[in-house]
Amino acid sequence: MAAVQVLSIATEPIPASYKAPSAPSTSRISSPHPSGHRTLLPVGPAYLNHLRLSLHHSHSFSSLDKHLEAERERLAALHGDDGAGEDDLGVGDEEETPELLALDPKEWKKQDQYAVLGLSHLRYKATAEQIKIAHRKKVLKHHPDKKAGTTPAVSNSLYLAGVNQNTNDDAFFKCIQKAHEVLTNPEKRRQFDSVDPVFLELEEDIPTAQEIKSKNLDFFKALAPVFELYSRFSKVQPVPGLGHIDSTKEEVEGFYDFWYNFDSWRSFEWLDKEVNEGSDSRDDKRYTEKKNKSERARRKKEDIAKLRSLVDMALSLDPRIKRIKQQEKEAREAKKRAAAPGAPVKKTKQQEEEEKKKAELEAKQKEEEEKAARAEAKKQKAAAANAAKKARRQQRAAEEAAAA
Amino acid sequence: MSKGTSTPQNGSAQPDVAPAVPLSNLPPVVGINFGNSYASIAVFTKEGLAESIANEDGERQIACAISFHGEEVYIGNQAKQQLVKNSQNTIVGFRNLLGKKFSEIPQPTAPLTSAAVIQHPEQPDTAAYRVQVLQPAPSPLATSAQNTPAPSHAPTPRSEPTPAERVLTVSEVTSMFLRSLVQSAEDFMGRKAQGAVISVPAIFSDEQRKALRAAAEDAEIKVLQLIDEAGAAAAVTTTELWGESDGVNVLQPDRTQLLVDIGASGASIHVLSVREGLTYVLASAHTESISATQIDDKLIKFFAADFAKKTKVPLTVCPAASPADQRAEAKLRLAIEHTKRTISASPGAATCSVESLKDGMDYTGSINRMRFDMLASAVYGALASKVSELIASVAVDPHDVDEVVYIGGTGALPGLDDRLCVEVGLREEVETPFKRGTVIGGGVGDPTTVLARGCAAQAALIHGLGDSPEEKELKEAFTGKLTEVRATTRTIGLVFPDQLPEHKEVGGTWVPLVQKETAIPVRRIVEFDVGVAPSGEQLIACELWEVKEGIRVEKVVPPKSEDEEDEDDDEEPEEMEIKHRTLEKTTLLGTLSVPAKLAIQTKGKSKDAGKWFSHVRVQAIIGVDGAVEVELKEVGEGGSVAKVQVPGF
Repeated sequence: MAAVQVLSIATEPIPASYKAPSAPSTSRISSPHPSGHRTLLPVGPAYLNHLRLSLHHSHSFSSLDKHLEAERERLAALHGDDGAGEDDLGVGDEEETPELLALDPKEWKKQDQYAVLGLSHLRYKATAEQIKIAHRKKVLKHHPDKKAGTTPAVSNSLYLAGVNQNTNDDAFFKCIQKAHEVLTNPEKRRQFDSVDPVFLELEEDIPTAQEIKSKNLDFFKALAPVFELYSRFSKVQPVPGLGHIDSTKEEVEGFYDFWYNFDSWRSFEWLDKEVNEGSDSRDDKRYTEKKNKSERARRKKEDIAKLRSLVDMALSLDPRIKRIKQQEKEAREAKKRAAAPGAPVKKTKQQEEEEKKKAELEAKQKEEEEKAARAEAKKQKAAAANAAKKARRQQRAAEEAAAA
Repeated sequence: MSKGTSTPQNGSAQPDVAPAVPLSNLPPVVGINFGNSYASIAVFTKEGLAESIANEDGERQIACAISFHGEEVYIGNQAKQQLVKNSQNTIVGFRNLLGKKFSEIPQPTAPLTSAAVIQHPEQPDTAAYRVQVLQPAPSPLATSAQNTPAPSHAPTPRSEPTPAERVLTVSEVTSMFLRSLVQSAEDFMGRKAQGAVISVPAIFSDEQRKALRAAAEDAEIKVLQLIDEAGAAAAVTTTELWGESDGVNVLQPDRTQLLVDIGASGASIHVLSVREGLTYVLASAHTESISATQIDDKLIKFFAADFAKKTKVPLTVCPAASPADQRAEAKLRLAIEHTKRTISASPGAATCSVESLKDGMDYTGSINRMRFDMLASAVYGALASKVSELIASVAVDPHDVDEVVYIGGTGALPGLDDRLCVEVGLREEVETPFKRGTVIGGGVGDPTTVLARGCAAQAALIHGLGDSPEEKELKEAFTGKLTEVRATTRTIGLVFPDQLPEHKEVGGTWVPLVQKETAIPVRRIVEFDVGVAPSGEQLIACELWEVKEGIRVEKVVPPKSEDEEDEDDDEEPEEMEIKHRTLEKTTLLGTLSVPAKLAIQTKGKSKDAGKWFSHVRVQAIIGVDGAVEVELKEVGEGGSVAKVQVPGF
């Protein structure tokens, strides 16, 4: 608490001849004012601390310090969450690495849009409001109007005298504007989020089935984060988590059901090849568009297949599935065992089977009968037709004979 | 804890569940500077600073006056206007009568200019005012279908109000006035005030304080503390903001402060010892023989004479000869408020204009600064001699006064500051709000608002204390009896020996640690650079001394310029006194010696380049028993530490 007073004093070094005098052991500071006590004016924080010191801390400064420190922490905890939250919604201030500042606005597609706006701790979770705040912060810091004049010329070379070397000054500002453009447009942001570089990096670390088996990794620890990673792409939120070893059958089934029917918004337009600027040829354009389209479809297919294989792998390794199967089997057996002593149940079953057989037999017979009937009807028809023909022929023959 | 939230105090049923929707984090408290003639109020504004606010009439200086006119009650500056035509129903100057018995109040000798103080007709030995009011007539009886045989569509007209007499005690008047002040503040804040700190003059007796507290409670104001005017001023002057000049705090945390409070009814002067925010009064004086009213009188006489000269209408004021003169004086007294403010605010001439001052003649006159200073000269001179007297009484040299603080509207007059600094013999570099330029335009140094802001800051401090038993004890300590402390009488500090000729006095560089007149227990921490030898044994060594501070007066004959010589030939060459602060080592308390481990060589092109320095932090503690503990530490990882202890008295 104690205020440290920094004095602008620089003392001289001690003369070589200096010898420290020895203080008489009887020396004391002068006794208090002879006119008696002084009455403090009861105002201000200093007086409050003086009161605390004399009332609660028996004049010990270290005890008071501890108390004040605790008090401050308590107050910070009390007001801390709304203090920062109100201001910038937790956007905070991220460090800007030199690599980040040296980004080329022409390569804007390759930059990490979140890192440029200082949102790499939030990424796809950043709300529109946060993006707005982050953008405003960055603009305040990097606007070319602010930089003009503050950046000194890089070299003092004679040849460069009078040449404005700060032409590249607003490069990062352009990057910021691009990042803002991407992140505030929901369609573009979706496209970028689909191929978020950080996500791609994490995607590469997904363990394979062999790895889990050979390294004896914990199934849940290894795969829970993976599913969590993918859950961002789901159109349906919230996404069921992998759960834990004691999850119920319904939960486990619900999980696999969800992931086998995963409805993803992920798409790959971001990776499209740009149409060659120089060529005006319509054919060229069409060709590239066609290529892009097929490429997109291929990537999407790959993505779906990848996720599918992931779920397959999880299913095959899931210890809960084994457990559930086991349980089901046990339940069945238990039922069987429980059913064994009671004959009537079995009887009915046998009867049922017999009935079934009977019914089947009957059905077959019926069918055969029907078939036979149909065949007969056909025959009769054919016979009738033949008869009619014969009759006609006979009639004609008779007529011909008559004419002749 | 209720600090910073607007959670109602009585919401104990669900203290944690109810999500306090913070209207604002500002403490809902009011600071009231309650003077005898003017009052001001301060609250916390959005910037988190205590600011003096204006009431509904747009006045920051609210006149302590209540006027009854017919059915209306006027409070503040509107009531003051009533002094011209309705003086017998206008009450002013009631604060100083609070808590006094009727028999203790001296009867006025001069003709009255406001409502007379009378003995209360019923309560024994109580001062009261009698005012004529119009009582609203009782509203007509509620009509019903039965008893109105001939109904008319027009409502029955109200009867004329009846003249009545009202007797108000001083305490009732005070309650009414305080309530209106707090109401103004509540309207400004938009919520109820949860506490107030009110300033009282140091001369108020315990009964008077009690009476004020009771009057405030009657007005439904929770009084957190009554503080002396010196205390209210200290609450502002010990803040960082006070000493700011161009964004830098130019004031030392340890200083001797001269507080000049000149009000309408008297002047109080205090010499304060300010030690890192902890303040006590070294000496104080109050006099009623010097007051702003005297300046007013002089100014009124000046304008009256001017009026008589311009219009050939005779006008005698202070004291007035006839009722017409009396009314003219009242009009002038209202008008010069504006003149005085203009004089304080701008270097040019200030005007005073009154319509129909006497016999239907209008008056417009102006006065420039120089003439004003001449008029007020006698009052300034009296004040300066009073200050000199007071400073001498506590054996403080005027040269030792580090800062002057003014309170009250008169303190805003720049002529007073100039006169005081020269006549009392304060040193050139003494800090005043005028020097820092914080007086004009509602700056922090504005003498008219200092007290109210101090009260508001203090109210916030007390309001911010929690509800734990310890904190409650602290709250009570603020209202309870004053804390008496012991204080050091001599300054202690370190001497870093060297052989420079300018350091011959103490034989080295003097680093003061604890100033004289510091309340104990005390802790001081200072940081500075210590030079060490470039090679060989790099030693930091110093001695802990108690010193006696003094003033050496050097008489110098100012060098005369050649061309002046023939004119002032016959005059004796005038001697000028130049004062120097001196130090005399009295007691060696101990020595400290330690090898420097973290010394570094200064680089660059400054004059210290190439020299070796080590940055050290020295902590000095003087306990309640007078035991001294000084610890010298090199700042940084692995720095060496030296300690010296001196037992108590």
